[in-house]
Amino acid sequence: MRYLIGRLMWALLILVGTTAITFAIVFLVPGDPARVVAGPRADAATIASIRRELALDLPVPVQYGRYVGRLLRGDLGRSYATREPVAEILARRLPSTALLAATGLAIAIVIGLLGGLVTAPLAGTWMDRTALVLSLGLLSAPVFWLGMLALYYVGYRWRLLPLGGAGDVRHLILPALVLGTGTGVYYARLLHTNLVSVLGADYVRAARARGASALRVVAVHALRNAGLPLLTVIGLDFAALLNGVVLTETVFHWPGLGRLAFDAVLSLDVPVIMGTVLLSAFLVVASNLAIDLLYRVVDPRIRLG
Amino acid sequence: MHPTLGHVCAAVAVACVMLLGGCTRDRLEWPKREPGSRRGGVLRLAAADDVPTLDPALGYDTRSWFFEQHLFETLVAYDDRAALVPALADRWEVSPDGRRYRFTLRPEPVFSDGTPLTASDAVGSIERVLEPRTRSQGAEYFRGIVGAPAFVDGSAAHVAGLRASEPGVVEIELAEPDPLFLHKLALLFAAVVPAERARQLGDDFTTQPIGSGPFVLREWRRGERIVLARNPRYHDPERPYLDGIVQQLGVNPELSWLMFESGELDVTGIPPADFPSVMRDPARAALTVHATALETMFVGLNCEMPPLDDRRVRQALNYAVNKADVITLLNGRGVEAHGIVPPNMPGYHVDLVGYPYDPTKARALLEEAGLRAGFATEIWTQGTDTDLKIAQKLQQDLTKIGVQLAIKSVAWASFLDAIRQPKTVPVFDLGWSADFPDPSNFLDVLFHTGGANNHPFYSNPAVDRLLEQARTVLDETARFRIDAEAERQIVDDAPIIFLYHPITYVMHDARVHDYAIHPFLPARVTDVWLTPEQSARSSG
Repeated sequence: MRYLIGRLMWALLILVGTTAITFAIVFLVPGDPARVVAGPRADAATIASIRRELALDLPVPVQYGRYVGRLLRGDLGRSYATREPVAEILARRLPSTALLAATGLAIAIVIGLLGGLVTAPLAGTWMDRTALVLSLGLLSAPVFWLGMLALYYVGYRWRLLPLGGAGDVRHLILPALVLGTGTGVYYARLLHTNLVSVLGADYVRAARARGASALRVVAVHALRNAGLPLLTVIGLDFAALLNGVVLTETVFHWPGLGRLAFDAVLSLDVPVIMGTVLLSAFLVVASNLAIDLLYRVVDPRIRLG
Repeated sequence: MHPTLGHVCAAVAVACVMLLGGCTRDRLEWPKREPGSRRGGVLRLAAADDVPTLDPALGYDTRSWFFEQHLFETLVAYDDRAALVPALADRWEVSPDGRRYRFTLRPEPVFSDGTPLTASDAVGSIERVLEPRTRSQGAEYFRGIVGAPAFVDGSAAHVAGLRASEPGVVEIELAEPDPLFLHKLALLFAAVVPAERARQLGDDFTTQPIGSGPFVLREWRRGERIVLARNPRYHDPERPYLDGIVQQLGVNPELSWLMFESGELDVTGIPPADFPSVMRDPARAALTVHATALETMFVGLNCEMPPLDDRRVRQALNYAVNKADVITLLNGRGVEAHGIVPPNMPGYHVDLVGYPYDPTKARALLEEAGLRAGFATEIWTQGTDTDLKIAQKLQQDLTKIGVQLAIKSVAWASFLDAIRQPKTVPVFDLGWSADFPDPSNFLDVLFHTGGANNHPFYSNPAVDRLLEQARTVLDETARFRIDAEAERQIVDDAPIIFLYHPITYVMHDARVHDYAIHPFLPARVTDVWLTPEQSARSSG
């Protein structure tokens, strides 16, 4: 319990620190938010009036103080560009991204587990080497290229699935597959390496000696230890995926957080930038905490605190 | 057994299924079409970016304007050839001194929600644009109304020169005569909204817009799709023909093309790679429409930064660029620019020669300026495909006269900021499109000393005098003559490299009829109709 409270305090500190740093960066980069809001054509009087209305004429620390004040009251502000409440924008985008991230990750885990379990016992054979070359190819293929290829063949030529967009399950398949494939292949290699090193260990040999089947040895005895590093990576990846996958979202015009953050940065939409960064920081902190707790479940020898 | 990765997978899978259930999108229902009638059907479109806003006080981009002009009406508007015609106002009178306007609204106009549209709404709509709280980019267009400054600084509750004097009559008094004032009233900033309701809704008016235009907003899922439906209370019972417009959002141009080719879209732009094959096929070329935009693409030359402060150097750069080649790079989708005012603009200066490609002359001018060995400089661009192609072409052409041009790609926000700073950006790639069809909208806005958009920091007192003189001349012919003289001097001073005027091409499905591109506004689809028998195709 004390451990948990300590962790939560740290998490809060990280979140506050993140807002301060982001705020500073937004105002340090070249570009004037009032100018962007006013658009390329506005005259000086219009820009000045907009700067006043958005309180951008105040010193940056004062602006930050006001921001934190509003934040403590649960007000994330309104987008400069669309004038929508930032909380509403995030609430609308998060489920889309969560859906894509969760499905993509599920696919990645399936590919990773199957790939790792199947190739580990084959280590050193020609089949293993073929798998290595194949996975290196998939790993190196840029997501936007894979995505366009998938859209062109599956969506346009063969008319099997819709050409991007959000809607029902059929819209989800391609982006999730593209997202999951690269990650999954990486997981498979990671698991493969760990399994190979574990398969020679005494306890695995002991299990074999006891007459456990080959499948049981790999999937139960070896995986328990070899899977631990994978769990860490998956946890971090899930947080990263939740923060949006700009390229996948852009190629498949999937309305998620990644594109939102990307567009906000380009247009210096300060409240949206702050909102997405805050949400990202929260997700990373929360998933790290969750992974730490999961460790304990998977390996009871790991003590927390 | 302890939980394993398998359990984690199972949990994730269950979460996915739950999320999926919540995220399935409902399909849109539309009325069935009557056989043989032009009426009915839905136009299916796609665009890369979301719509910035639907609030006419705020939109200042073609994406917003496309939708706003279907949702709202202005007192006066443009016909398909850019001439001013009555819209919400049936007729208007202008006093001989050009300072007083009197507009009579058409009989019994109503908003799409059924409430009557009054002269007070027209007055309130302009006041809303002027109000600092609205943060409208269009405020500057109405600051010339008597009493506007007092209203803006808060010392007056209303704009004295804006009156709803009797039901259905709007009177506007200007501090100075303004030959462009009717054009300013045709801008969507002056669209008439239910003023009181818009004020109550504040920033939320953009998601709940109410106007008197041919369509109403039916659905707007940000970043996904926007749907307009026919306004049943629109004043013309025959229009629009369409039941609705659906635009998918976030669709990049290549994907838009694939969707069009699969029959999922009715109208699309044509990607550069596919353009030649479309135009070679007569059947497909017949489905394209094009128009030369009231737009000029140019390369700005900072007149305060040596050696560009020397007019001969700027002229040399103009002679050194092969504009015909630039247009070839664009699949021929452009017209060579001889000056700044585009060809289909009223008051276009036909006999202006500009700078034909002449590297010999360019070298001679550089030598005259004492730069026989050439010089090095830097072009700032926003780094889109077209921008980079053009920058590389300039780089090649300028090398031939000994000028080394480095290319610097900069994001939009930083670009905007940088070109405003004195002596910061030597050369930059930019375009300007007309807000209204008048040469001053290019000349005065871009080249008057100290103007907000005078990014080349160009200054010529003789040109300033002419531009100022033109501001109050009400007679169009006389004004165009003064503008033409100013343009001649600007072209001679060469503060920019005059490149080209883009030609916009779009392609539509064979079932789409009467789709036209407007010279300077986004396309209007009020008159568009769909071939009846193909109406069974699904939409949404």
